[in-house]
Amino acid sequence: MATDSATRAIKTDENRDAAGRREIYLYALRRFGVYLFTLWAAITVAFFIFRLVPGDPMNILLGNLTRAEGRQRDKAAEEAIIAQYRQIFGMDDPLPIQYLNYLRKAVLGGLDLGPSFVEYPAQTKDLVFRRMPWTIGIFTTSVLLAWIAGTGLGALIGWLQRSRLSRLAVVLSTLLQITPVYLVALALIIYVGYSWRLLPAGGPYARHLQPAWTWEFISSLLTHAILPMLSNIIVIGAGFTLGMRALMISVLGEDYLTFARAKGLSPFTVLKDYAFRNALIPQVTALAIIVGATLNGTFIIEVLFQLPGLGTLFVQAMGLRDFNTMQAVVLFSIFAVLTLTLIVDLALPLLDPRVRRTA
Amino acid sequence: MPALLEIRGLSAGLQGRRAITQVISQIDLDVQAGEILGVVGESGCGKSTLATAIMRLLVPPQVLQSGSIRLRLAAGETVDLLAISESELRALRWRHLSYIPQGSMNSLNPVLRVGRQMMDTLIQHGLTSGEARARAIEALELVNLERKLLDSYPHELSGGMRQRVIIAAAVSMRPALIVADELTTALDVVTQRQILQELAAIRDELGATILLITHDMGVVAQIADRVAVMYAGKIAELGSVHGIFEAPRHPYSQGLIGSIPRASGQRVEGLPGEAPSPWNYPAGCRFHPRCPKVFDLCREHAPELMRQDSGRWAACHLYDDEVAAHA
Ligand SMILES: Nc1ncnc2c1ncn2[C@@H]1O[C@H](COP(=O)(O)OP(=O)(O)OP(=O)(O)O)[C@@H](O)[C@H]1O
Ligand code: SF4
Ligand SMILES: [Mg+2]
Repeated sequence: MATDSATRAIKTDENRDAAGRREIYLYALRRFGVYLFTLWAAITVAFFIFRLVPGDPMNILLGNLTRAEGRQRDKAAEEAIIAQYRQIFGMDDPLPIQYLNYLRKAVLGGLDLGPSFVEYPAQTKDLVFRRMPWTIGIFTTSVLLAWIAGTGLGALIGWLQRSRLSRLAVVLSTLLQITPVYLVALALIIYVGYSWRLLPAGGPYARHLQPAWTWEFISSLLTHAILPMLSNIIVIGAGFTLGMRALMISVLGEDYLTFARAKGLSPFTVLKDYAFRNALIPQVTALAIIVGATLNGTFIIEVLFQLPGLGTLFVQAMGLRDFNTMQAVVLFSIFAVLTLTLIVDLALPLLDPRVRRTA
Repeated sequence: MPALLEIRGLSAGLQGRRAITQVISQIDLDVQAGEILGVVGESGCGKSTLATAIMRLLVPPQVLQSGSIRLRLAAGETVDLLAISESELRALRWRHLSYIPQGSMNSLNPVLRVGRQMMDTLIQHGLTSGEARARAIEALELVNLERKLLDSYPHELSGGMRQRVIIAAAVSMRPALIVADELTTALDVVTQRQILQELAAIRDELGATILLITHDMGVVAQIADRVAVMYAGKIAELGSVHGIFEAPRHPYSQGLIGSIPRASGQRVEGLPGEAPSPWNYPAGCRFHPRCPKVFDLCREHAPELMRQDSGRWAACHLYDDEVAAHA
């Protein structure tokens, strides 16, 4: 009888591989659908939020221009200019039409998000693309480094639960985690950059250099990147450390850990195959969540370190009420965050056999 | 013949903020080679604490307080499991003593394939991966599972299959002693019976010795040779299954056996009251608040586990000759 039930269960296994594969495809497809929907929702919300802000950007813009040039305001001429601008920017159409036009251009027009108000006729797309490498470079590198460091450190102090060193590490990480990233950045700028003069603390590279594939330029680029990235790594890494520690401790209480020890496996194998591996899965999910939550920190860091990234672009655009540019920055950030999250989520089934079922 | 496992004066407890609360007290128990010894008692009486103390797998707040556990190795020498180093113990695990923990359903790592989890231990103990695979398959066959299961993940198996996998893993190195805690508790009756039969077959085939922990007198009756009845962290009575079921001596055993539904259907008087938790074990005989035969001495003095006739032991003043003489 025992054999019967066992063989019956095993018979289904021929189909199991195929079924498992189909489930993964379905999961990926569903996940991609969610991604597209979220992207659309984000674009829509961004569009309407910027349109519904009270005040006509054209008025503000023109007011700024005329004030800057110190000219007398000529009502009639001004109105004519505004009318022309409004036409160029398609702002006379009713809002729903504007929205559809906007979507059409964004999707079919190769990410055409309209021209910049301020740097007309420069396309906001080009402004964003020019700045994006800085942001993406600093952001992804520092988040990844923070994740790797935090995961390793957290696993270690979770494993050594009760040692004094690990308690100290917990207190330290907790303090760092609740510190706002700009305070850490300011502290690094003030102490490391100015007081001790150890590392450059402003600008993308030394002023006298021009971008080129020379060692001098690249090393200058890298040394200038250390402090901005370090600010991010310290704060985000502390969070990852605490998260991984908590995950390790909860995994250490699982029955399969007791069983692994009962089997006589070496502590290293238990740590590697039974504790770390299992804690890693939710830690990867945490990476996906953190990715979204830390981009704004990177924007602040860019401003503080005077790096020509999206954050600085946004702040400049905000000062000039350049709504088109602000909107483009927001959209690209959302796009980047959602795409990174999608990648992480799609990687998850590779790690966790259970996701295939439950997803 | 000396016992395979000799437990002496084993006490373990829970570390509180100020003091240790004792959970099992001064356990003396011999497990003979080749037998299935049942340890039975109500929930919370310390059975799992006893099992994990034997396996040296207590985790804080659980603490070992005293005792020795001598395991006889094949060569005739003995080791004290509580005195050797962690790495010496590691070498003995699975080769000499295996463990089937309570809640075996969750004892497999959900993210590793079954085969990997069965074989990693074998490889660690020096087998090549080919040998380990052969051993794992052999062990699966002992519990009527097919080799294909090696490629499955735990969540793809039913509860009964997972329990069998754990058993297979535990016997794969042909250990002399298997400590099995609540092997069948979470399973339906049919699967329970099958698994117990498989366990008995394993004992016969491999000549393994099994310490079978359960709260179910029926399980004990079905496959154990001897039984130790535990109450509130102590052994109340010890003897052959046949002897104890026929004529229980300790009032607690009498109550336990009385509460098994008989074939005739009517329930004999059960046990009134509830088992105490370690934080309020009564003074004197720990059973005295519930004992129908309690007398004055019981409230003050704890009875010792004393040898009766024909391999029977009981911890009750009723069977204490000196007391009987005075009474
Ligand atoms: N880690 C722990 N933390 C708190 N209390 C514990 C712990 N381990 C055991 N205990 C307590 O010790 C007592 C004995 O527990 P144990 O698990 O040994 O009982 P058991 O006889 O195996 O019960 P069951 O039949 O429910 O498995 C119980 O009162 C339990 O609450
Ligand atoms: S010692 Fe006394 S109280 Fe305890 S079981 Fe025997 S008779 Fe009952
Ligand atoms: Mg138990």
